[in-house]
Amino acid sequence: MTKETDVRTLRIIAQDPSVKHLSGENAGRILTAHVQIPAEDLRPGPWGYRVQVIDFDASSQTAFKSYRSLSATAGDRYRNSSDSLILKDPRFHCQNVYALVMHTLARFERALGRRLRWGFGSHHLIVLPHAFRGANAYYSPRDHALLFGYFTGATGEQIYTCLSHDVIVHETTHALLHGLRERFNYPSSPDQAAFHEGFADVVALLSVFSLPAVAAAILNHASPISNQDAENDTGLIQERAVSVKALRSSGLLGLASELGGELAAVRGNALRRSVELRPSPTYYTDSPEFRQPHRRGEIFVAAVMNTFLEIWAGRIETLREVRSGFVSREHVIEEGAEIAEILLTAIIRAIDYTPQTHIQFGDFLSAVLTSDREARPRDEKYQLREHLHRTFVSYGIHPASKSENGEWEPAPSELSYRNVHLDSMRSAPDEVFRFIWQNAGALNVNGEAYSRVLSVRPTRRISQDGFALEETVAEHHQTIILKARELKRLGIEKPTGMPSNFEVRLRGGATLIFDEFGRLKYHIHNDVGDATRQSRRLQDLWNLGMFNSQARDFSRMHRSRFSMFGQDGRGEEW
Amino acid sequence: MAAPTEIIVRSYQVGFGDCFLLSFVYRTTSRHVLIDFGSTGLPATAAKDQLMRVARAIRDDCGGKLHALIATHRHADHINGFDPGEHNDGSGAIIASLEPDLVIQPWTEDPKAPKNAKGPTAVGAHSKAFLRAINEFEQALPAASALMRENRDSPLLNQLAFLGEANISNHRAVKQLIKMGKRGKAQFVHYGSASGLNLPGVRVSVLGPPTIEQSLSITRQRSVDPEEFWSLVAGNAATASSVPPFSPRYRAARAPGPARWIIERLSYLPAEQLLEIVRILDGVLNNTSVILLFEVGKQVFLFPGDAQVESWKYVLSKTSANPSIRKRLEDVTVYKVGHHGSLNATPKTLWRMMRYRGAQRKGKGELALHSFLSTMEGKHGSTDNNTEVPRRTLLAALKLETILHSTESLPPSKLKVEHVFVP
Repeated sequence: MTKETDVRTLRIIAQDPSVKHLSGENAGRILTAHVQIPAEDLRPGPWGYRVQVIDFDASSQTAFKSYRSLSATAGDRYRNSSDSLILKDPRFHCQNVYALVMHTLARFERALGRRLRWGFGSHHLIVLPHAFRGANAYYSPRDHALLFGYFTGATGEQIYTCLSHDVIVHETTHALLHGLRERFNYPSSPDQAAFHEGFADVVALLSVFSLPAVAAAILNHASPISNQDAENDTGLIQERAVSVKALRSSGLLGLASELGGELAAVRGNALRRSVELRPSPTYYTDSPEFRQPHRRGEIFVAAVMNTFLEIWAGRIETLREVRSGFVSREHVIEEGAEIAEILLTAIIRAIDYTPQTHIQFGDFLSAVLTSDREARPRDEKYQLREHLHRTFVSYGIHPASKSENGEWEPAPSELSYRNVHLDSMRSAPDEVFRFIWQNAGALNVNGEAYSRVLSVRPTRRISQDGFALEETVAEHHQTIILKARELKRLGIEKPTGMPSNFEVRLRGGATLIFDEFGRLKYHIHNDVGDATRQSRRLQDLWNLGMFNSQARDFSRMHRSRFSMFGQDGRGEEW
Repeated sequence: MAAPTEIIVRSYQVGFGDCFLLSFVYRTTSRHVLIDFGSTGLPATAAKDQLMRVARAIRDDCGGKLHALIATHRHADHINGFDPGEHNDGSGAIIASLEPDLVIQPWTEDPKAPKNAKGPTAVGAHSKAFLRAINEFEQALPAASALMRENRDSPLLNQLAFLGEANISNHRAVKQLIKMGKRGKAQFVHYGSASGLNLPGVRVSVLGPPTIEQSLSITRQRSVDPEEFWSLVAGNAATASSVPPFSPRYRAARAPGPARWIIERLSYLPAEQLLEIVRILDGVLNNTSVILLFEVGKQVFLFPGDAQVESWKYVLSKTSANPSIRKRLEDVTVYKVGHHGSLNATPKTLWRMMRYRGAQRKGKGELALHSFLSTMEGKHGSTDNNTEVPRRTLLAALKLETILHSTESLPPSKLKVEHVFVP
């Protein structure tokens, strides 16, 4: 009889079918892994409480046999299946996407300390693992769905985007980020457009690297175990084979080359580019090429992935040498996977500490430095905050906060809490709005703008000392709609060439973080009336031809990663 | 023969399309160059036989003889006027009777290019893969037409209909161009190649299209190998009607009940996929446009067909290493507005380079920037997503900073806009 537990373990493809075991008894077989996800009784699909997999192909108008129902305690049907079966059986594909979407959701919920909602109204995210023929995969908010394409590769084999770990996590992250910060989907600075892609790439890559099997694969590229060695494997690895340089140039790049070239069409080449984009502040500040959202997102990815490498290599230095110049391969793998996990949690947790609209990379840096210190004050072991700070600066990204350590400044202390109720403040937008209303002056609330509290979310995380860290995160949004000719009145410059009767929508507002006593800890704001930032943003949007574009179209965004000329015409268009 | 004494630029009323006649007037003779002749939509007030009328006007304006004919690219709105008709009584028959000495087309139209491994000098393997892909793309178009016929009410399919119409090859026009090229001389050009034009006192530069190899040389980062890219896209386009990706034993008789609503919702997907393919093809073909620059004394004429940003990037990338190209672009005095005034065919970098912008208002000497726009509002794109053609922001800039000659401003009684330039 199987024991009932909270978690279930399912087999997934570790990266994608092109990444195989390099050595050992499984040499040449697809690298797979087992992930733990919340246990639940699954209806056919699989269809659980948050995810519904529907295997229907709109291109050929064909439905495929459903993954059969599975009780919460039942084992994995594909635990020991052969490579050929897991490739040709669409029901395994369904399991693969279900497991990875749920794994990503659970990871976000754990990091943020609460249940998360999707960005659309429903409880279920629909996942179509074989939605259409085409080299694309995307999140479609209007369909409440993730759609994965399949296509024929150059050598005639079928390539399924739903078997690619990073593609699945990337798309799931779009859906989760949409639920957390819906205003990030709107036109803003080049940074905001880039952030959705860069953040989804980072979560995807770190999710892949947090699997020990993948950390081992990186290491195998950096320092291969030959068959000879495998037979008398001492379990040791030369220390110089795991320097930052070796991990970067042979480890990650080796893995990047192994990733199916054709899938690069769908995922871009985030991994390769993050390795090749060496630190320099010029991309971020000066280069017109890096003002295009895709390229700009790569700067963000490079900063985070280089942080990962530096922490990993730094930890290896501290591992006790087993023999002079050698360290234990197993320990190095464990450290790699653990660092990916911790960094990933910090990156996700930071979202609560970002402004609710118009995010720039410097805002994210201040957010991650602050939120990580709140939840994990002691950082001697990994020095994660120091590494993040230093690496981001090496790419020209400085904290948005002017404080010495780059963290957000505490909220103003002179605030009125008269007649606001702690209980209501943890859940009711109207109560939070009352607090904002009676502190309008201290909180720089623009009296002319339309105001709305978009969300109030109580969170509970376990901090390093074992106690619960309770916070409430609220988003306050402000909008002003006016004609271009009226901008001058607010001190905002009208973009060159914008007709004076052009309708302009200014957005701004704040994220408010309350402590467990309902006191405001942080007020992370970019004001709707901030003339300097708004002038720059309007000019950018005007130049990029994105001014009145609607919320992000992920389908097109992802397709343009695959454009022939590798660059889009933004900045040159009218 | 000395340099021309004047140059006449004529833009004929073809609605949504292009048709320009450049007449280089010498002391004792004239040489006439026809650039494009096609239309995919005429104003409601136009005559039913508008293209015949235009052909006859061209014949009269060039005195019965063309020195050269340029078909910038194969889109219908640039070449269907060359169609001689089933009984050789169409507008193309009149043009053929003008016996052009030279027919200029982009390298992509060279009938030898896909077969002959050596081909035109700069055309390599990538370019050939690209050409094969274009042909395969075209095979996907009948499926598009079928979808269009099924439902013309949907805005998505209407867009597909328009793009499909412009992209479906006009075989008779294509054949006629080959025939005219054989009678005179056919020249297939790419960036940096000779134009073959014989116009004394006129310096002609070919600025586009780049070959695929040239384009790739400026692309620092590529996600995939270009040959693979094209075969991938083409292969998947050709099978867009689609075979299911799994063996029949994994197929279900019907979708499970709870999935029905999403399946109905996704009925837009095949059309969207197809539209995407046609859109790629449309952009790709625009970027095969011949870009010509004529210099006569102080006058510099730029005729870029429908070249879009992607093609322009190659020329613009050359301007820093090659100041003379930059200077020629800065000195442009006559600009044929790219792609009927669409949002991405007049790169802002190029626009900012043209130094005579606004000169007509400042009274700076005699030179000013003239622009020629051949277009028809309401035919293509949408103001909802800022894709309308002509793009209103570009149109505003053209009105403000150039002397604009637009076929849209022509009264129904007039067949052409024309202006005389003195070198």
